[in-house]
Amino acid sequence: MLAPLSWLKDFVKITLPTDDLAWRLTESGLGVESIKKMGGEEILELEITPNRPDLLSIVGIAREIATIENRKINLKSIILPKPVNHLPLKVVNDFTLFARYTALIIDNIKIKPSPKWLHDRLIQLGLRPINNIVDITNYVMFELGIPLHAFDYEEIKGHEINVLKAKGGESFTSVDELRYKLPAGAIIIKDSQRIIDLCGIKGGQNSGIKNSTKTVMIQVTADDPLLIRRASQALSLRSDASTIFERGVDKGGLTYSLKRAAQLIIEHAEGQLASDIIDLSKHQFIPWKLTLSLVKLEKVLGIRIPLKTVLSILTSLSLNPICKGNLITVTIPTYREDLKKEEDLIEEVARVYGYNKFPLTLPSGQIPVKKVAYAKDFREENKVRQFLVAAGYNEIYTYSLVSKNLLIKLNLPDSDVIRIANPVSIEYEYLRPTLVGNILQAIKQNLPYFTDIDLFELGRLYKGIPPNTKEGLSLVIATTKQFEKLKGTVEELLNRLHINHIRFSPLKESAMPKELAFLLLTKTANILARDKEIGFIGEINRTVASNFGLENPPIICQIDFESIQYFCRETQFVPIPSFPALIEDLALIIPPKTYVGQIIEEIKNISPLIQNVALFDYYGNTKTFRLTYQNTTRTLSTQEVKVIREKILYILKSKFRVTLKQ
Amino acid sequence: MEQELIELKKRALDKISKIADNKSLKELFLDLLGKNGEFTLLIKKLKNLPKDQKPKIGQLTNKVKQEIEQAFIDQENKIDSSSSDQWFDVTTPGIPPVVGHLHPQTQVLVDLIEIFKELGYQVADGPEIETDWYNFGSLNFPKDHPARDTQQSLHLETHGKTSPGEIIMRTQTSAMQVRIMEKTSPPLRIIVPGKTYRYEQVDASHGFEFWQLEGFAIDRNITLTDLFGTINYVLKKIIGENINIRFACTNFPFVEPGVDTYMQCLACSGRGCSFCKKSGWSEIMPAGMIHPNVLTAARIDPVKWQGFAFCIGLSRAVTMRFGMDDLRLLVNPDLRILSQF
Repeated sequence: MLAPLSWLKDFVKITLPTDDLAWRLTESGLGVESIKKMGGEEILELEITPNRPDLLSIVGIAREIATIENRKINLKSIILPKPVNHLPLKVVNDFTLFARYTALIIDNIKIKPSPKWLHDRLIQLGLRPINNIVDITNYVMFELGIPLHAFDYEEIKGHEINVLKAKGGESFTSVDELRYKLPAGAIIIKDSQRIIDLCGIKGGQNSGIKNSTKTVMIQVTADDPLLIRRASQALSLRSDASTIFERGVDKGGLTYSLKRAAQLIIEHAEGQLASDIIDLSKHQFIPWKLTLSLVKLEKVLGIRIPLKTVLSILTSLSLNPICKGNLITVTIPTYREDLKKEEDLIEEVARVYGYNKFPLTLPSGQIPVKKVAYAKDFREENKVRQFLVAAGYNEIYTYSLVSKNLLIKLNLPDSDVIRIANPVSIEYEYLRPTLVGNILQAIKQNLPYFTDIDLFELGRLYKGIPPNTKEGLSLVIATTKQFEKLKGTVEELLNRLHINHIRFSPLKESAMPKELAFLLLTKTANILARDKEIGFIGEINRTVASNFGLENPPIICQIDFESIQYFCRETQFVPIPSFPALIEDLALIIPPKTYVGQIIEEIKNISPLIQNVALFDYYGNTKTFRLTYQNTTRTLSTQEVKVIREKILYILKSKFRVTLKQ
Repeated sequence: MEQELIELKKRALDKISKIADNKSLKELFLDLLGKNGEFTLLIKKLKNLPKDQKPKIGQLTNKVKQEIEQAFIDQENKIDSSSSDQWFDVTTPGIPPVVGHLHPQTQVLVDLIEIFKELGYQVADGPEIETDWYNFGSLNFPKDHPARDTQQSLHLETHGKTSPGEIIMRTQTSAMQVRIMEKTSPPLRIIVPGKTYRYEQVDASHGFEFWQLEGFAIDRNITLTDLFGTINYVLKKIIGENINIRFACTNFPFVEPGVDTYMQCLACSGRGCSFCKKSGWSEIMPAGMIHPNVLTAARIDPVKWQGFAFCIGLSRAVTMRFGMDDLRLLVNPDLRILSQF
């Protein structure tokens, strides 16, 4: 909403400097976005909240200024001359569509350009002046915040107004010569033959004001907000009028708007009244009462504002407060339909008093200790992040919304992926089923500047078919270094979280799930904790790597974070052993394509006295394992160890055809 | 003898100071203080002195010996520090450990959680895929109300399984308010950080996907001044004591009175830039007293209980704290950006 200061000054005296005025308006809820200069004029650009349709008008803004300046606005009552004749108009209103219908006919008008001052004010509002009649209806709408529509009276066939709902599909041509197919439920006006108005949104071309128009019918109505909103959304067509109607027009102010337009038309188009004011409604739209308890006011605000100040604020808002004991009764003008509850009045007092005058306190009650629903502890997340950063990895955040193209590049079918029905762009159309795509793009982006790239992201994945969807936190780690480096990081991470019984299980060819179609099968392992799958580690296959423009396929690990939270444990202290451990190296000759992991597992299972098995060195088929034997209750004898060693060699030979290097 | 001692000292110190290598220094040491050294031999003459001279000369001898010995030590150090094989350049740059970088958003989030924990708040987490009810309906946004225009949502393709727009990406972390309130009875002090989504075109200060941190407190006597105090405390803790904050009234359907918090733009120090839309001030923390209709929707008695709610634009707070001028920097994985944090 734009408001030229000179126009506001027609209704209220302004003493504050413009910058101060702008801040005071913002502070009290009428946000000033900027102060524009046009010629010698200052124009306020305001952000109007949806609850205050009354502020979509110069008078409404003037009222707010009057409140701040603590003075009265100057809005004169209008007395129209008596009609010179009475032209017929038959109105059949549907009160569910128009809660109130008002109209007036003016005869013998002369269509011409608007006077300069009116012309200039419309320009200041960013409007295009057309002719005196159309300009006056626009002018009055912006002045009072109540839309009006002017018909060429002679084009209303049969001089008949029928208010009804569109059935849907009717064709309609607007004053600006655009054709629309009407949505069902739009409010329309039909004369005896044709649709002549798409109410609250746009007038019809057939009944619009022409240069030859001699008689006008001015109509001011209280349109149903919901029907206007739905029609305007269905047509993707908004007008200044529809914006006011969907927020709720001041039903009590309709005839004033009508009179104001008539006054200007008589003055600037030489018209004469040709009817009484038609005013149809089922109820009277008059001010209503609301009470405010001073006890409640203080309880919500946390300060006691002196009664005198409270009353002065309410008076400055034209709410006519009457105080009795602890209760103040106010009278709400019809243009303030947003004031419905006591809390609304509390806000009125607080905002005018000035938020920045309030003291700053903290809640004084007891701190609640009961664990709340949806409680989440960020401890594990932070542990993981801290570890990975210490291990040299950099944290990234990426969008959850990804493109179809990204899914295709990952070899993933988009059929199982959740789609946004109204995406902002095709770049952000699907909810990511994996974090891998984004991290591959991140590697690609960094390649020109860095040789080694180590990244991780902790973010959500989205799965399922709406309405049954699942969101899970997931950890993805990626490196341009070798497989063992990432694997070692992951092993140490899980170790630090005390997630025991971890296995890296090679993926079987037949078992390659299609959601992992971006991996190189022969270089991928499932990660299992206590035999439950918690993630994978693997190399991106050549095809996918080249889809992302990566010459060397990165290594990726993705772990389900909820599993981490489920399996991780606190540290349990173990005393340092009081008896010496026995350490020995075994150099074994291992047949090709034998998984070392399985050999280590096998060795560990042979005796509880084997505390650790590490791959110490390898060359060709010879792999040296360093075994740590430990008995926590006594010193081990070499004889005992010899027995275990022989068992190891025997089992490895029979199971894996592994032999000891002589 | 006294004269002899003083002359010996003088000669010795002179010689010592002229020696440039450890080997010659050692030889000189033996020449002077060795078994048959000049000084050692001179001391042997001490016993021939008359008795009354002994104490005086004895003292002088000790003093001279100490001085010579000290001169050897000093000269040795001098030789050591100037010899090339011992030379070490401490100005050579160190070898840094390879350590990664925690994303700035994580850093701010961790700090915020810490600050709120100190104030007695608990942390909660909930779904990003949300129903119309929790995101709008329960928060006093009636269906078809123009207030919804301020937060246009992205909705999920459901292939006709639900009415269109029923399942959406949450537009605000406030969607967690009623979810939590209906399961946990007051008093409550909660924060909910998380991602939110809007149907919005991207620019320097807006995104279709961004982070918020919702917070709310409900008790019997929580007041508007408590809200102002909380906002002031938290923003100064997280961004800096010297920031300028001011409050303004605004309207959100789920609060009454409604509050907007403006912070003087740190990207331009209030001069006006693209980030603060040239105003010098940036909206950072909308808030208000929880609307009684919201409490009622969660089956909490609004006569007994009252509270406040606020929302920190987390992404915006991060950019403000580090003087970044574009929200999109936070989802840019360029290590030249990330390695600054």
